[in-house]
Amino acid sequence: MECMSLLGYSACAPDPGLRASLPFPVFDINRDSIPPMLRRRTSQATQIAFSVASAVCVETQRSAAALPAVFASVAGEIQTTDLLCTELVKPEGVISPSAFHNSVQNTAAGYWSIAQQCTQPSSSLAAGCDTFAMALLEAWCQLSCHGGELLLVCYDERWPAYLDTVRGELAFACALVLAAEAVDGAIAHIGRPHFDAEAFSALFESLAARTPVLAVIPLLGLAAAGGAAQNIPVSTVVPGWQARVSPLNTIPAPS
Amino acid sequence: MPFAHPKTGPLMTMQPRIPPVAVTAYQCVSAAGDDAESLYLSLIVNRSCLKPLRLFEIPFETLVGEVTSPLPDFRPSLKAYDSRNARLALKALDQGGFRSNVEHAIASHGPGRVGLVLGTSTSGIYDSENAYAHFQSKGVMPAGFQFLKIQTAQATAEFLHLELGLQGPCYSISTACSSSAKALGAAQRLIAAGFCDAVLVAGVDSLCRLTLCGFNSLQLVSPEACRPMDAKRRGISIGEGAALLLLERLNPENAVRPRLLAVGESSDAHHMSAPHPDGAGAVLAMSQALQLAGRDVSQVDYINLHATASMLNDLADAKAINHLFPKPPPCSGVKGLLGHTLGASGAVEAVVSLLSLERGFLPGTCGYEQPDPQCPCPVIATPLLDQRPRLVLSNAFGFGGNNASVLLEAF
Repeated sequence: MECMSLLGYSACAPDPGLRASLPFPVFDINRDSIPPMLRRRTSQATQIAFSVASAVCVETQRSAAALPAVFASVAGEIQTTDLLCTELVKPEGVISPSAFHNSVQNTAAGYWSIAQQCTQPSSSLAAGCDTFAMALLEAWCQLSCHGGELLLVCYDERWPAYLDTVRGELAFACALVLAAEAVDGAIAHIGRPHFDAEAFSALFESLAARTPVLAVIPLLGLAAAGGAAQNIPVSTVVPGWQARVSPLNTIPAPS
Repeated sequence: MPFAHPKTGPLMTMQPRIPPVAVTAYQCVSAAGDDAESLYLSLIVNRSCLKPLRLFEIPFETLVGEVTSPLPDFRPSLKAYDSRNARLALKALDQGGFRSNVEHAIASHGPGRVGLVLGTSTSGIYDSENAYAHFQSKGVMPAGFQFLKIQTAQATAEFLHLELGLQGPCYSISTACSSSAKALGAAQRLIAAGFCDAVLVAGVDSLCRLTLCGFNSLQLVSPEACRPMDAKRRGISIGEGAALLLLERLNPENAVRPRLLAVGESSDAHHMSAPHPDGAGAVLAMSQALQLAGRDVSQVDYINLHATASMLNDLADAKAINHLFPKPPPCSGVKGLLGHTLGASGAVEAVVSLLSLERGFLPGTCGYEQPDPQCPCPVIATPLLDQRPRLVLSNAFGFGGNNASVLLEAF
């Protein structure tokens, strides 16, 4: 496979300050994207993941039922897991059965497949600060081996502050629809992920270090702004995983 | 005349759609003992290794597959990763020369060409629970507790990566009980797509209050040793373990090793904690594995069932197999022996399947006595010796309706 085609993307952040600071369009949680049955019992993680996954399917006019999915998150359902751990260490703690099955890392992926009636494979992966990079690599491997298109969703909800004093303060999700090879309708081509030493954007470095899934900023920023092809980091770890991104036919965003 | 199934197409025309990889080494720490050899002996004896829980107290009755032998210490530089989960992985690494097999792969391919994919459901949560108890009494997390190095899904993967000095891709897959079966699939793709020449696949999960109490809240835990596929089964028994498999691109040196042909994957799209009643997702995963490998249902010699011994799971397993196989091969499940090792089970049971291929036997189903008329599957109760299985399917199905089916072949 020579490259992946980025067919479209969407991004979501509940925090207005974060939304305003990112160099591509970002919206708030869209509750309409979550089936009414699930609205009250899903976490922030699942809600932001659904918001971006639904939006990108609309944007790219793809049927969610037809797309294999790669979900990626550093901490998954950490708020639900935190509640369970707090109960577990109390002498009379109560464990809710639905909280338990909603604590697995593939909760968002599972509900997505159920809501969309999608029987295609879905994966849930985690790789710390390399989470977006490894998700992109997994996407590359799936498209390279099986062809077609897939949905990549990368997200993290807010983490309880006492678990990590540095990271996890801001929730963010993004979704990308990717296709094998150069295809019609691509807004950018993404080259083979590789190890390199290009520095992460100085403007966003500290933000991404505190919210590891924001390692997607340079890629989505370039796809949104257009311009010349560039080798860009897809992880905040440098030297580390990078990919050559070639924007196509995009109109520069108004400044 | 070979059987041609509509789902997998005619036998003569099928070509593998993903290159097979060699399994050049494997190891496993489980309730059966510290290495693959003790697992083999346990499979032959077929006596349950499930016992009352020793690690911590729980307010209900059950038996578990606990690793009770001492776990190794960490080197000081990696102390931040010290969790029960990572210790199980470290223990497996140091059995039967497995570490030197990995070092050989690093030396022949280069550290940047050796990757790591780990499957786990709860990672180091057992240690986090202890940290939460500290938080509850002292108001702060214990000094040195690092969330990313203990609790998150990639923690044990990152530890193994550093412990071995690997420089290839490193990540964890956490899709509940299918995690490490899917890790095998991801690893095969990393080799096929040219990112790696060898990938260490790990399936690691450790006993913790979260899973014991969580499954109990779902009324899925059996008070006695679980009885997969039995008419009187009363739920699951939980276990722990670490299984390691070294996958390498085929070359003349590894031509005599067993092969991973493919991993089929699917989603039930049905329910978060109950399988599709007809096993539709399981059928998809198994047929996809066969299709990717260019093999036909008639060629499968043995199926390692997911068979958790929950009422619904075993029913769905049996229905799926009967739907896909006009004449199902012998089937068995090993969770009555080892417990359900959750995210590790895909890799643990891949090791069971490899032992079956390499040592020429079919495992039994410990705890299975009375057939369930609703699960009309050819279940083997006691091990069959002097067999020559060549093609084995090993199933792992998880919460969220996440299914994976691993297809392994003798050389």
